[in-house]
Amino acid sequence: MLSRIFGVLDTPLGYGGLTLGNLIIFLAILLIAAFAGRMITVNLKKNLSDKLPKNDLEMISKIVYYLILVVALFVALPYLDMDISGLFVAGGIFALVIGFASQSVVSNFVSGLFLMVERPVKIGDNIEVAGIKGFVEDIYVLSTVIRTYDGTYMRIPNESVFTSNITNYVANAARRFQYSIGIRYEDDADRAIAIISDLIRAHPFALDTPAPSVFVDELGDNAVIISVRIWAPSENWWDVKTDLLWKIKVALEEAGIHVPFPQRTLWLPEEVRLKVGRGSGAEPDPTVRQ
Amino acid sequence: MYGDYDYDLHITKDEISIDVSDSRGFLTYTRVCQGNKLEKNIASEYGRIAVNPVEPVNLPQKITTFLEIRFDKTMIEPYSSKVIYLTFPIEIGVFVAARKDVEVLDVFSLKAPKYTLYGPPAEGVIARIHRSPIYSVPPSVDPLRLGVMELAVRNDAAEWAEISRAVFESHGMKIYYDREIVSLVARMRLHGRHGAETDFLNRPVRSGMVKSIEVYRKRDIPAMRRGYAMEWGVD
Repeated sequence: MLSRIFGVLDTPLGYGGLTLGNLIIFLAILLIAAFAGRMITVNLKKNLSDKLPKNDLEMISKIVYYLILVVALFVALPYLDMDISGLFVAGGIFALVIGFASQSVVSNFVSGLFLMVERPVKIGDNIEVAGIKGFVEDIYVLSTVIRTYDGTYMRIPNESVFTSNITNYVANAARRFQYSIGIRYEDDADRAIAIISDLIRAHPFALDTPAPSVFVDELGDNAVIISVRIWAPSENWWDVKTDLLWKIKVALEEAGIHVPFPQRTLWLPEEVRLKVGRGSGAEPDPTVRQ
Repeated sequence: MYGDYDYDLHITKDEISIDVSDSRGFLTYTRVCQGNKLEKNIASEYGRIAVNPVEPVNLPQKITTFLEIRFDKTMIEPYSSKVIYLTFPIEIGVFVAARKDVEVLDVFSLKAPKYTLYGPPAEGVIARIHRSPIYSVPPSVDPLRLGVMELAVRNDAAEWAEISRAVFESHGMKIYYDREIVSLVARMRLHGRHGAETDFLNRPVRSGMVKSIEVYRKRDIPAMRRGYAMEWGVD
């Protein structure tokens, strides 16, 4: 029985000295390597998830996985009865052909490598690139995946990412935002400034330093414009901005300070009189002659 | 208020109440602090609850590990050292422990948090800020609100240094407590007018104190000293 099995494994496949047994060993090595690679990367992610940034962890996992596969390939290749030096030459020519044939793929690949080295963005960052705003979901070798604010999946080729202007909203620790708040001319601007400053002081994420600034910025057509500039941690910037604006509005109104509506004062000549009567929408005044 | 408790727990102090009671087959943890209420179910039979001060960088949500303490401007003589006492804000951690594993159940505080930027926006760090008077002896403060930090300042430079702030990396903060005081012991080594290094020592300000369970534990590697290099100024 065993001799029959070994006999089958020794069956030549018609390519050099390659036998069925060698092909099975070759495939088995690759499969074991792929399985081991997957196990190792899963364990790496599990054990290092709280010690390394997600971006670094993903990159390390990928490098480890592909390294295991490459090593396994070199271990397994002799079973195919192949001359590896010949493979290198063939590989070089193949790479050249592929390079010419698929310039954009190579360009994206190289851009991906540069992005990984330069790292203008990281996984999880809030960015704008190539006119698309969202969160970086993943950075692959050929493309970068963005999740837009409305949850849409966007795949951007790395060449576009690399050659576009990238705005990373969270690259710096803090960023500033601004409100312009109009109050009526008869309201006390100093009191309004004090109320707004107190609210900013009480908000945990409105940063103490750089200090916020609140000042009368403009005497507008309909309102005195108070400018409010606040620094917040980049990651909480949006929450602070949306939270504080309404609190300011409510606090000002509680203090009797109101945001005015646009208005225009009209001065009419003495002889112009308002015509009141049927069809005007107002009750006729009996003292006015019609 | 700080200490270890069985699951049958009822604490009321100042504006804080903590209660663990059995309801509907679950243990229910209920905490009220300054009117803010939190309820959680605990599925456990044999465990304990620990209440102690923790690193003050968790509220209202964790965005940093740094704590900056600002104090009155103080001139430090060249090649000299001075021990000063400062206060630091208290956050109270509630832990649940069973089968040799400890997990954070809740963190709350009577002190309103405020954050700041230490350094420039591009390279600086977000830090929880606390302003403290400067003392020559440990001050008497409410241990539910403030802790006492013993800070040994050493000027290694050949020139006078003016300091008014100390920034700490709170991971590795060693907080101790007893009935009257919550304490921390820290060091600040000045390398010149603008740079310093800070770290914490693993000892209480006086004997007989109990060590707090830390929310963030670092593995202690003897050859490596943990700390923070203050690159963006000390005044």
